[in-house]
Amino acid sequence: MTMNHRRSLANRCNALQSTGPRSVAGKWASSQNSRKHGLNSAPDFESCLEYKALIDLIAEEGFSTFACADIAAGLLNYRRVMDAYYDTYTSREPVDEFLRDVNVRASVPIFRELLNPSGSEPQDVREMAALFASMQRQERRKGGPVSRRSADTHKLIRYQRNGIARLSRAVRQG
Amino acid sequence: MLYNVHFGIYVDVAMPVEDKSKSLLPFLSSPKLLPNESGSEFQSGLQSLLSELDNPSPLAVALVSQLNESLWWIKRHTVDKELLLYEAMARLLSKAGNHWDTYDNRKVSEALERYLDGSADKDESEWIDGILAESKLTLSDLRVRAFKDAAKHIKMVDDLIHRQHQTMRHLQRSIDSIDYKSRLIKRMDLELAALESKQSVKGVLSLDDEPS
Repeated sequence: MTMNHRRSLANRCNALQSTGPRSVAGKWASSQNSRKHGLNSAPDFESCLEYKALIDLIAEEGFSTFACADIAAGLLNYRRVMDAYYDTYTSREPVDEFLRDVNVRASVPIFRELLNPSGSEPQDVREMAALFASMQRQERRKGGPVSRRSADTHKLIRYQRNGIARLSRAVRQG
Repeated sequence: MLYNVHFGIYVDVAMPVEDKSKSLLPFLSSPKLLPNESGSEFQSGLQSLLSELDNPSPLAVALVSQLNESLWWIKRHTVDKELLLYEAMARLLSKAGNHWDTYDNRKVSEALERYLDGSADKDESEWIDGILAESKLTLSDLRVRAFKDAAKHIKMVDDLIHRQHQTMRHLQRSIDSIDYKSRLIKRMDLELAALESKQSVKGVLSLDDEPS
């Protein structure tokens, strides 16, 4: 076992015992952890400059004022979805190679040493090893970088479907 | 007056429509590409699509650029399908003969990718051949197993490609509708002009027919 390996395991054992953030800033930061793409929040297109410019451009093509507003909002909304799609595609969750490749069974002596240097409880060590094994299974199930990227972008399909349907409807009904 | 239309292009709203669509092109020509992708290839695709437009109005140009982006995404996802297979093949090779701990998965993956491309050096080729022999697999066996292993993710990528096709269909219908609308307006203008000229001729005739 290398020193890095021991240190990584020690860090992860300590992290498992963490009780979470305590400061207000820390709590706010961790509250944003699950924010993925922001597509569920209502967009405010009317206050942006692009919206007005698009309306002016579309109006010259003979669309009514309402249709222009619909089309401009539809186009900006579709762009928003596609930008989020690109961001999700490019900034995927990294593969935790340490967790994926670590030999849990061979790490049991280190767990024993970390949990209680003077003589550990076998039950605690077994639980820790089981926890690591479970985390490793999850990590391996997610696959490599391309699998993760596909799985993440797949979650945005419904936003894309709604976005293009809205745009298409606005253009055809205009 | 100049407006910044979404991606950093300035459009003068007092410009003629043809000029506006031209001025929209620079903003459409700066798409979000990946580091290994060719901007000129993207541009040539966009230009060929735009050249097929009868009436390149700004809205039509914007929709065609979205269409081109969808085509680009289909290309990306098609490459991803092949990469998924490579990934699964590398995983199977790493696991073969209980060598999960001894073989570095990423190293196997990179070597295998080069091996399949034909760009691997002698050592790498021998190494991959050695692992294949050790696990009693041929390359085609490995590919079949990898396909089975990665089926779930390949299905996801197929869904993504299908979604892009659906998006293109929507965009195509929207472009057709704009085109039809502009033709309809042109036709109505012509009919109106014809009616007006008919009316004016009738008016002249009726004036001529009036008894003195």
